[in-house]
Amino acid sequence: MIRFEGVSRRYGEQVAVDRVTLEVPRGSICVLLGESGSGKSTLMRMVNRLVEPSAGRVLVDGRDVAGAEPEALRRGIGYVIQSVGLFPHWRVGDNIATVPRLLGWDAARVARRVDVLLDLVGLDAALFRDRFPHELSGGQAQRVGLARALAADPPLLLMDEPFSALDPGTRRGLQSALREIHAETGKTILFVTHDVEEALTLADTLAVLDQGRLVAQGSSASLLQEAEKGPVRRIFGKESLAFHRLATLPASSLARPEDARQDLPMLPADASLKQALMLMLAEGSACLAIPAEGAFPGGTLHWADLVAPR
Amino acid sequence: MILLLGNLLLFLVALAAAPRLGWLWQALFPGISRPVWDSQSWFALLAEHLMLALGATLIAALIGLSAAILATRPAGRALRPLLDSMFSLAQAVPPIAAIALALPLMGFGAAPTLLALVLYAALPVMRSAVAGLDAVPAAVLDAARGTGMGPGRILAQIELPLALPVIQAGLRVALVLAIATTAVGAVAGARCLGTPIVTGLANGNLSWVLQGAVFTAWLAVIADQALRLGLDPERRRSNGRLAPAR
Ligand SMILES: Nc1ncnc2c1ncn2[C@@H]1O[C@H](COP(=O)(O)OP(=O)(O)O)[C@@H](O)[C@H]1O
Ligand SMILES: [Mg+2]
Repeated sequence: MIRFEGVSRRYGEQVAVDRVTLEVPRGSICVLLGESGSGKSTLMRMVNRLVEPSAGRVLVDGRDVAGAEPEALRRGIGYVIQSVGLFPHWRVGDNIATVPRLLGWDAARVARRVDVLLDLVGLDAALFRDRFPHELSGGQAQRVGLARALAADPPLLLMDEPFSALDPGTRRGLQSALREIHAETGKTILFVTHDVEEALTLADTLAVLDQGRLVAQGSSASLLQEAEKGPVRRIFGKESLAFHRLATLPASSLARPEDARQDLPMLPADASLKQALMLMLAEGSACLAIPAEGAFPGGTLHWADLVAPR
Repeated sequence: MILLLGNLLLFLVALAAAPRLGWLWQALFPGISRPVWDSQSWFALLAEHLMLALGATLIAALIGLSAAILATRPAGRALRPLLDSMFSLAQAVPPIAAIALALPLMGFGAAPTLLALVLYAALPVMRSAVAGLDAVPAAVLDAARGTGMGPGRILAQIELPLALPVIQAGLRVALVLAIATTAVGAVAGARCLGTPIVTGLANGNLSWVLQGAVFTAWLAVIADQALRLGLDPERRRSNGRLAPAR
């Protein structure tokens, strides 16, 4: 869906993005992870030509974006930013209708679409359609920002630290809303964040940037397995590497095939080892029961297996 | 508001009464044989005065706004200091000097006055428009570009509406400056509330001078009063409009 081919961007002497080659498969969420100033935004903004590469090229659906008319290109790509950037003098409905109106949809179709989108991002259309942006909380505003980006049903979404300015609870709410929307719509999403937890929560594939260079890419699990040294280890935080790793492994993989005991706390079969650890701590129990589900026959998870070297 | 309307009413009554107050002017200036100004009606002078001021403000608005838009475009950013000093210089020239300099080129009448007023009033319009356009949050512009709006559309639908309250404040200042300054046009033969002053000075008729001076000053006070009244609610609304997007 998106291919960066040897892409660089220089600002004077400074190299903001340095020869990045990366592919984002259709329908996946690819998270660009890196510290502040590592070139994430610059790399992302080359996709919709808000930034032009100094070298290399960016392909969307096999076509070089340099050959596309920038405005037309952008109308086909959803764009969400940290500071949201809702138009303060337009009502929520008009904000969401921006791209459909640019594309010349008729009023009735635009109005229907606005209501569908408000519903999709979890806002009551009747309640929010006619509000002004200053009448929204931060979380609500970003939900509207997401709705605006999705308005014309673009196959591709660019999201630049969209949840970074929100408090943790609100952020988790929006993360799960995004995952649901992704499952429902199958959009291709390029998602920028500096937050490791968020990256692991959302990513199908991870790409780690450090000083403009792509230093690692792959699934969360494979990245964490290999993250023994260098910038990846630093970015993930070396103290919590083992903990992050637990999040990428299913709890059922370590369960002993014993009959699930009734007196043990129950862990859902699709839970991760991190969730298992949390439940053990919360319940003060060194054993957890995992019920049978699908191909998994059910079993018991033991503390000893959790901490055993792998 | 009541104060402004009362003052305005009083002003209009005084304009209507002035030609009928022969005894008063006679008492004040006993040595003058024709103390009543009757060459033109005061209302005709007022109308021409206001037309001149309004026309000059309109032209100043067009020029100031164009300059501000140019100075806030990426391509025109380098011109910004130049434009600012040009407009500051234009305002620094006293209108009476501007009129005198324009006279040989433009001749007697309204034209040199209009020019002097435009030079004088363009700066507040430009400054306010630059401030208003600068205050549009960067995130809003980034989002607008990201949705695929073109530069013209962003200017017309996003930047100008958001900057409007600040621009309006600048326009009011320009109009008040113009109204207060128009009287000097009388030296170049423009008909306005300054005309009796200039004619009176030329003929040694201090009664005409006094009447012209009183009405000119009075109108400027009214304009200033209206400006203050206009600014307050405007400032409140502009705060709401320009509140940073969350
Ligand atoms: N328009 C610009 N002009 C000059 N330097 C820039 C510009 N945009 C980004 N940079 C520089 O490029 C580097 C990468 O920036 P950015 O892509 O915004 O990083 P990130 O999004 O990862 O925080 C930074 O050092 C930044 O200062
Ligand atoms: Mg950034």
